Amino acid sequence: MFRRCLIPFATMLGGWWLVAELNDFLAPHAAYLFVGGLLVTFAALHLRLVHGLAATVLTGLAIDAVQPGPFFGVHLVLFAVVHVLIFHLRTRFPREETSVGVVTALFANLALFLGLSVLALGGEPAPAVAWLRLLADLVWSQLFVAAVAPWFFALQQRALELGRVNLVAEHRRSL
Amino acid sequence: MPSHRFDQAKPFVLLGIVLLGWLVLPVAVKSVLRVSFFELQAPIPAAASYVRELQEYWAERAHTRNALIEAGRDLQRVYAGYEFQAQQAQTLQAEVDRLEKLLNLPSDSHYRFETARVAQRDFSGWWQQLLIRKGANYGIPVGAPVVYAGGVVGRVREVHAYTAVVDLVSSPRLRLAATFEDDSRPVSYQGGENPPLAPAHGVVAFVPLDVFASATAPKRLVTSGLGGVFPSGLTIGMVTGLQPSADGLFKSGEVALDPRLSELTEVTVLVPVGLP
Repeated sequence: MFRRCLIPFATMLGGWWLVAELNDFLAPHAAYLFVGGLLVTFAALHLRLVHGLAATVLTGLAIDAVQPGPFFGVHLVLFAVVHVLIFHLRTRFPREETSVGVVTALFANLALFLGLSVLALGGEPAPAVAWLRLLADLVWSQLFVAAVAPWFFALQQRALELGRVNLVAEHRRSL
Repeated sequence: MPSHRFDQAKPFVLLGIVLLGWLVLPVAVKSVLRVSFFELQAPIPAAASYVRELQEYWAERAHTRNALIEAGRDLQRVYAGYEFQAQQAQTLQAEVDRLEKLLNLPSDSHYRFETARVAQRDFSGWWQQLLIRKGANYGIPVGAPVVYAGGVVGRVREVHAYTAVVDLVSSPRLRLAATFEDDSRPVSYQGGENPPLAPAHGVVAFVPLDVFASATAPKRLVTSGLGGVFPSGLTIGMVTGLQPSADGLFKSGEVALDPRLSELTEVTVLVPVGLP
């Protein structure tokens, strides 16, 4: 149970911190990358509900602790909702395919980005400029997610294999 | 059949339990969770910033000896100029203290300057914040003003054991009482206009109708000293345009912030001292 939950959590957190470092470098250029959808997708597509959701909730909590959302727990709630939606729909498409994972990550990222934007833009003095910036950030983020998703999924899969978690058996059990 | 239906609903039932559990969780538990998760991750950006500094150190070691001698000579000249200014500032401060005593005036706020390295910059369209590598271990309080050579950086929002989070002056979460350089009437400043691939802007409101500013004749906006957080006279930015607001009673406009704000690697926290 712990390995199935903690290994995805560790990889998600690692991925998120790598992107945070990238955002530090991008700060002088007024650009920002958001990869929430990428973090959630693999666990939602390949792990059992309890393990995947636990890892997603922990990741949401970790991000909420360091980022000032509109309320504490906003990432947790949004990540959990998107995770459950992907989990619910995952039997309807060939989830073992990397391309399916990439497309799912893009849709999940779009949903999370829009959800967070709607919740976070309450006290903005110039909403038009803010939405222009968010639109540009969304474009960079989607391009970035599409580029790194295959690598990130492979990293998560390899980490689970190293932790002696058999994904084929997980798939069979979840059917 | 009902079992199959429950299987389909099971993810949503679990989601409902998680969300309900989060909703009814006491605030104290949430606070403990937040602090724990923050401190657990705090070494990651700190370590990354130390690695960056090491990288810069080795890059600077590549300079030739002649370049270093020239840089040292230039610095000596700058240092001599600053030394003279520091002496003047000391004389002026002594004069202020003498007048305060003579006129029985309450003493102006004094600050201790705590220089801190920036561990991480997080500038999105939603928020703009810095993580600095000093926190409760250096006595930094929540709400302390943060400055740099160009003026105001922002205000400390959270203080942790070894780090602190600073809301940037370009963040929509930051509001300040400000004045124009040559006018003592207070106006309201708020950060938040952050266009893509361009320097950040702020917004100024409640400006009296007889104040004028344009891109060709900008006006410097400074802190007013009202509210007791920021000392007066610190540069916020340049007001590059003012338009009458919807009610016609005041003007509002755009404040161009210093582009160096997004490249900061070191800031100074003003820690109030001698307060009751």
